[in-house]
Amino acid sequence: MNKCIFVFLLLLTLCINAQEQRTTLSFLDRTEFKIGYSGNVIWNNGLTFGAEYLWKEKVKIKDRKRGKRTNTHQFLFNSTLGFTTNFSSKTDTGLFTNFGLTWRRTNKKGKQFSIAFNPLGYYRSFLPETYEVKGNDVKKVFLPGRGYYAPSLSIGLGRLRKGKTLTGRYFNINFMLRTPYNTGTVPSVSLQYGFRFNFKKKK
Amino acid sequence: MRKIICIPLRTVFILVTLLSFFSCSNNDDLSDLNATIMVRHKNADMPAYIYGNGSEKVFLITLHGGPGSIGLGFRNSTFKNKIEKACAVVYFDQRGSGMSQGSYSENGISIDIMAEDVLALVKVLKHKYGSDSRFFLMGHSWGGCLGTATLLKNQNEFLGWIEIDGMHNPKGMYSRYIENFELIANQQINEGNSIDFWESTLNLINTVPLIYDESAFFDMNNKAFNAEVKLGRDGVINKPRNDSDVLFEYNFITALSTGGNTQAILIDQGLLETVTYTNRLSEITIPSLILWGKYDMVLPVSFAQEAYDNLGSSSKELVLFEDSGHEPMFSEADLFAEKVIQFIDENK
Repeated sequence: MNKCIFVFLLLLTLCINAQEQRTTLSFLDRTEFKIGYSGNVIWNNGLTFGAEYLWKEKVKIKDRKRGKRTNTHQFLFNSTLGFTTNFSSKTDTGLFTNFGLTWRRTNKKGKQFSIAFNPLGYYRSFLPETYEVKGNDVKKVFLPGRGYYAPSLSIGLGRLRKGKTLTGRYFNINFMLRTPYNTGTVPSVSLQYGFRFNFKKKK
Repeated sequence: MRKIICIPLRTVFILVTLLSFFSCSNNDDLSDLNATIMVRHKNADMPAYIYGNGSEKVFLITLHGGPGSIGLGFRNSTFKNKIEKACAVVYFDQRGSGMSQGSYSENGISIDIMAEDVLALVKVLKHKYGSDSRFFLMGHSWGGCLGTATLLKNQNEFLGWIEIDGMHNPKGMYSRYIENFELIANQQINEGNSIDFWESTLNLINTVPLIYDESAFFDMNNKAFNAEVKLGRDGVINKPRNDSDVLFEYNFITALSTGGNTQAILIDQGLLETVTYTNRLSEITIPSLILWGKYDMVLPVSFAQEAYDNLGSSSKELVLFEDSGHEPMFSEADLFAEKVIQFIDENK
């Protein structure tokens, strides 16, 4: 399972690079980076880093009484790497990464609404001192933890800052599943607040 | 070229250092243990939170209720300030409970495997703290079922068994609910306490089937918990005061989700319909202490006498808590701690 996920992630990265070669805009022109808090405040707190690569963009202009209304619809490839831990215990620490597609609408005032679906996700838990028991043998486990398939869905709001290096900020509610976790699947909910930036947009 | 190699190496070094930090326990001072270790057994990683005075290498292993509850739920101020001063207490998140994790099918959950997990925990503690470590086993509610199953597998590892309002006879709960509700409801109505509630309880037991029915079982089980709330409000028992600070230690979304699954699997396997250890209690011969709330509505007090009468131990004691229901460790905490410490001191 882990190997399959790795191959998927690799292919996705190659796809993104291939896309870049077909377009006139450079990879950095199309890519925004993001950094933010991720957690549910009470139990899990952590950081996420990521990138969003603009795949398709459509500008819709509608005539309204007060003038023209411009909405931009974007599809972006999205990738995230995150770290989460519970400061009160040592049993809930993990690294996760996910890849997927984001749909984002930006209105004339720069207000954004987005939905990100990340079908490719991997969560690796890191456990404290662990001993494995097999029959009468007890052995300490090196770098203990477990890997889970972890798809996620995020719904969020944001604000675009046109022409700035710090291109915007976002607030998402993220719903992630981890499976196989014990006998089934375990859900987790987190809030994500952070900033997007693009070094190429300095004007 | 050297720079290209050095930067990834530095990153790997920092990552390994960070991850090693998270893999370390923070206190191995035996007189004041504060450690979390994981037991990996049969595709499950189960946390054992170890606190207290381990200078004599005496460990009290606690088995939580549920099934599917949390190990640290026991750790109220009485445990912290009294029992942990007398010995080291091991709060164990069982398979599929609390923050334990792993990957296994539904067949990976059974009383048998969970009992093996407890024995695996003993092996790990011996490996870490020395083969001269000594153990007492304590089980509350469902932990009473698991503890009994563990002892029936191997009681030689333990110096004593403490059953607190325990479920050594899950199969018997259904019929005892009916008997106990009738008894307590009539008592309370005669005393003029919460008459409407107790009349509704009598109505409930008059409508449930006489043979096991899962839906009726859980109706009575819910009623039992509500009944203890009423008894507390009417001053018949002390209100349980659980001041354990587990709010931040457990991600409750994770714990409730995984614990609920575990409970459902065990019930589907016939836990409440077919499992009873009453006839095998005579095989348990280590010193035993039975602690029970007189007004336990969840596991009625008649189970306490049953355990006392059937245990094969030559040294056994039954203590009834006059002002308690299902959780005497929270409603008469001082007396509870006194009895536990006395038992450990006498048998360690």
